[in-house]
Amino acid sequence: MLKRTTSLSVLLSLALLSGCTPAAPAEQSAQRTLFAMDAPMSLQISGDRAQEALEAAVSELQRLDALLDRNEPESDLSHLNAAAGSGQPVSLDGETIEVLRQALDCAAQSGGAFDCTIAPVMDAWGFGGSGDYRVPGTEELAALLPLVDSTQLQLDESAHTAQLTQTGMEADLGGIAKGYAADRLTALMADYGVESALFDLGSSTIAAVGERPGGGPWRVGLRDPNDAQQRLGVLSLQDESLSTSGGYERNFTQDGVTYHHILDPKTGYPAETGLLSVTVVGENAALADAWSTALFILGEDGAHALWESRDDFEYILCCADGRVLVTEGLEKNFAFEGDAYGYTCEILRR
Amino acid sequence: MATPAKSSGAEGLRPTLGDLILAALVAAAAVTLLFALRPAGNSGALTARISVNGETVAQYDLTALDEPIRVSLDELPYPAVVELSPEGAQIVESRCPGEDCLRTGAIHTAGEQIICLPNKLIVSLEGASNAPASDIDVVAG
Repeated sequence: MLKRTTSLSVLLSLALLSGCTPAAPAEQSAQRTLFAMDAPMSLQISGDRAQEALEAAVSELQRLDALLDRNEPESDLSHLNAAAGSGQPVSLDGETIEVLRQALDCAAQSGGAFDCTIAPVMDAWGFGGSGDYRVPGTEELAALLPLVDSTQLQLDESAHTAQLTQTGMEADLGGIAKGYAADRLTALMADYGVESALFDLGSSTIAAVGERPGGGPWRVGLRDPNDAQQRLGVLSLQDESLSTSGGYERNFTQDGVTYHHILDPKTGYPAETGLLSVTVVGENAALADAWSTALFILGEDGAHALWESRDDFEYILCCADGRVLVTEGLEKNFAFEGDAYGYTCEILRR
Repeated sequence: MATPAKSSGAEGLRPTLGDLILAALVAAAAVTLLFALRPAGNSGALTARISVNGETVAQYDLTALDEPIRVSLDELPYPAVVELSPEGAQIVESRCPGEDCLRTGAIHTAGEQIICLPNKLIVSLEGASNAPASDIDVVAG
């Protein structure tokens, strides 16, 4: 009896332990939500040093925010803007110079569709951070447009200095800084041996490191620009980033007209190119960030031309007429679901 | 067909009353531990979490509400009022510039959020284990 009882209890105890004691986790998981760069951000990291990596990532975001936010009085960008028109080059952190260089490159390659000196016009509309939305007068915009010219942002990369040549000019890196931050976080993960992470930097910029826990690529739902409760499809991402720009992100309605925040540097008005949203996917998040804005302003044909001239990004356009255009590089990674809401999907080939 | 003969060994391992009592005790302990070790906060109820600047300031079990309640957030830079009901949550008053949070409207499903950037305020719905598991990791846009 004693022997039988012991055998039975050992078996049951083993069953109990196997059921209640989780298998020793091979890695830990750490998550954090925070506000930075004028956006809510969510970081999700898995790995043996996930918590350490998370703390480092949060610090990195806060450091970049303090460096690149023009609404922060002591930021590099504030110093640059304050000296506009003084004729005096401003000493800046090497990273600020690097982001400004990337912004100028994107401006040149997009024919000015992306322009980081559009800040004075953004402020006139209330999109610069005040939230005091208004429709500026045509004369007011005409007076501000000469200040929007990134060729008048001069960099000396060896001396780590920059200057804006006209009084009243202001640089704003909101169109590229989150992407740059995503690139930095991705690079940082390697220092901690992290092979699985997802960085959601304000929904508009998302970086996927490695595979999701459990295996397979990260699954990113792409929202329907016309209804936040619906999605156009699901994009599979692995060691890539995406950036989305849409008129629905920040807008206001006045006298029955809705005005969104993606302003055309050439006109000073919200870009109306027949697009509702643009999603760009690539390995370089800063570029993806800038291209999503540029492609929205360039419109369908301009976006296609830019894509054909380069091989470092793919895109998904949601057009106002219901077409969803997907470049061929995403054909296998995008599961289209928009047909349920009246959209049609077309694959674009080179 | 011949009936298999029982061995004397098999006869000897037939459970006794003591075995059954012990098995019942171990099973009871297993059930107790199962409840004791379950993840905290994962009750399955639809829960609204209100957080400011990344810190949770309040959490409500919406399934426990009989009728809508209003939560005033007067200490925020731009005071706001959140309405909670068994069906979901909505920011119904806000003095923030832009008022994007008001335009978000009501949220009803675990995983949805209302964000008020000027206040660094997030109202998020969690839980509801009866809801279908999400098939995505994040929403872009």
